[in-house]
Amino acid sequence: MKTKQWSFLILVVVLAMVLAACGGDDDSTDTTAADGTETTAADGTETTAAGGGGEDVTLRVLVHQNPPMVEFMEAFNASFQEANPNVTVDMSVVETGDLATVTQTRLSANDVDVIDIFGFSNGVQDYMGGATPPAWQQLIDAGLLLDITDQPFVQNYDEASIADAGSYNGAVYQVNLGRVSYSGMFVNDDLLAEVGVATPTTWSELVAACDTIKAANYECMTVGGADGWPVFVGSYGLLGAYYPDQEAYAQGLWTGDTAWNDATTQDLFSRYQVYAQDMLEEGVTGLAHDAGPARYSAGDVAFMPTGVWQAPALEEAGPAFQWTYVPFPGSDNAADNQYLFGKYDQGWSIAAKSPNQEAALAYVAAFSEPANYQDFVNAVGFLPTQPTATLETQLGEQVAEYLPNYRVGFEQFWVEPSGAGQWSNGSLAASWFQPFNEWDDSAALADQSQADLQAGLDAVG
Amino acid sequence: MALVNKQYLFGRKITPVLFLLPGLLLYLVIAFGPSLATIVYSFTDASGIRGAVVNWIGFENFDEFLFRGVASRDNLDALKRTLQFMFFVTALQFGLGLLFAVILNQNKLKGRLFFRTIIFMPVILGVVIQGFLWKLFLLPRGGPMAEVWGWFGLQSEFLGGTDAFWWVIFIQIWANVGITMVIFIAGMQAISDELYDAAKVDGASGWQLFKNVTWPQLTPAINTNFLLNIIGSLQAWALFLVTIGYKNGTQVLGYLVYAEGFGQTSGSVTSSFRQGYAAAASVVLFLLVLVLGLSANWFVTRREMKYMG
Repeated sequence: MKTKQWSFLILVVVLAMVLAACGGDDDSTDTTAADGTETTAADGTETTAAGGGGEDVTLRVLVHQNPPMVEFMEAFNASFQEANPNVTVDMSVVETGDLATVTQTRLSANDVDVIDIFGFSNGVQDYMGGATPPAWQQLIDAGLLLDITDQPFVQNYDEASIADAGSYNGAVYQVNLGRVSYSGMFVNDDLLAEVGVATPTTWSELVAACDTIKAANYECMTVGGADGWPVFVGSYGLLGAYYPDQEAYAQGLWTGDTAWNDATTQDLFSRYQVYAQDMLEEGVTGLAHDAGPARYSAGDVAFMPTGVWQAPALEEAGPAFQWTYVPFPGSDNAADNQYLFGKYDQGWSIAAKSPNQEAALAYVAAFSEPANYQDFVNAVGFLPTQPTATLETQLGEQVAEYLPNYRVGFEQFWVEPSGAGQWSNGSLAASWFQPFNEWDDSAALADQSQADLQAGLDAVG
Repeated sequence: MALVNKQYLFGRKITPVLFLLPGLLLYLVIAFGPSLATIVYSFTDASGIRGAVVNWIGFENFDEFLFRGVASRDNLDALKRTLQFMFFVTALQFGLGLLFAVILNQNKLKGRLFFRTIIFMPVILGVVIQGFLWKLFLLPRGGPMAEVWGWFGLQSEFLGGTDAFWWVIFIQIWANVGITMVIFIAGMQAISDELYDAAKVDGASGWQLFKNVTWPQLTPAINTNFLLNIIGSLQAWALFLVTIGYKNGTQVLGYLVYAEGFGQTSGSVTSSFRQGYAAAASVVLFLLVLVLGLSANWFVTRREMKYMG
């Protein structure tokens, strides 16, 4: 009996300890201010974190998968640790598609200090009744991102990027690290020369070029179709050629001033179909985006319509491979094909409830020093958001003439009305044609897109 | 006063209950609590973001999921696809598992342990490994399966095309048929040899042995496999995430719950988190599992009563 009694008592004590350990720690981290100068650690002691008190700090950094960027960050982290011996940088890398999910879960768990976050976009506008705010807005409203308005390093970035990609309700929550263009295409100069085709500047020229290239037993285009999104991103140049003012176009779809199945957009959809079914090579449904540069640099494909972020990987995959980057010629009027559309890419935000705020601020400040930022831009191929930086790479030379015509793309403005159907965002339509999905009739798909959109608009009144 | 009686408190009657307490508490904290919270969340606009304001919105999430606009059409399509997935996975996995068990339970068969191991091996791999393995096998350009297809003059986009849903069914069966087989083999090995001997003396053929001895005696294993296959296939979603990702026309309900809850529904990297809405979707999925599970349970219980008494 004694044994049983002791067993029971031990059991109760262990259980109580386990349950106590599982108890909430909501108040364990009490961040006192948005300026990030004072925090209270789990044990209740106030700390000044890295650089200040010299205490050992493990700085948790989250970034998305982009091989040249990750490689740069590893080198930067090493130099930062060398300059700050008390700081250990623990960097996690996640797939692009998982970044938002991991950001949300790790911020909620207070398990991250510095976050790689995409430029703020898709904000809910006055005319978007019933739309759900984007994730970044939800995070700020919940008080999870630090207000960095008064941090000196913010001044290193240009006003446009701060206003367009890093601000919300008059405060700055992100420094954005670069613009990217996704509406152009890489051109295989040697292959074009071999088959006697000039770089196409209109849609008709592109169609004719593909015919010639395929007749010579080469492939016209490739993209990383296994990931889905590279297929429609590759067609953003078509959308841009038809609708250069993409913010106005997004608004027109909401207000009913335009439709996915009007005559002009029906024509756009028919070109989406040609792009998806006639121009892309067979088998791209199994080609991952990361494998795209290796496939393309093999040399037997003429074009790769994708974002400029692939340039460093392309240079690494095929150092001898000769390429240029031009706007996708989506229109038959060459003047319409002079725009590069894109978005604000990666930026840095800091967790508002981080116990390591001083170290986090020091980290972003170090990164933002012009020399470091210049190295970063050269490594990843972003169009710089620091006015003192220049893109000193082949890509920089390629896109220089188009930069005055750089515009933020439709993807950054569009918000889905609640209740809309799965085909309602027609800017993705290129990825819905066979073999990627079920559609084989562009007119029917355009009608379906508009019907799915209209149902959502009607539902939100 | 009984509670202060040491005999009663620490005696035989109460001790087993006390030892059950940790497990029970664990169940309450890890399984029952979150399930209850999910039902509560389904009536809110919770984003799942810590610190975000949560509002009670009644049945709005259910209204949107089942009736609003044409999103409800897509959700109901996902529901139908879930049932389709359940039907084919359950039927084929059950049938193949039984077939493999019948063949590999024969003592005269050489290499039966090797083949049992081969068939069971996918079960020990995680769903991510299973998915990536088949993504490589099913590469439409240069993949091994594409090569085999080519021998017959066929071409397929496999997981990247319109047949993707059916390939996931195939992978799900490949991944889990081993456990179905093992349960059947265990059931067969529990059947007394005397029953077979008696039937043989009466002149029963191989088919008659199976029909009149093996099949009725396998009832507990049949019921277990039947329920496990139904519930397992209704809850499957991770394989879709790994092999296809979010793609129109392929989602099952379980994947829809994940995608809505964690901002994975649009082509943009800035989707919203809608965990209240996802909770409503998961309540619908729960009700589906409940109805089908109870129906299946009623069916197998009746069957068990009929054969086993």
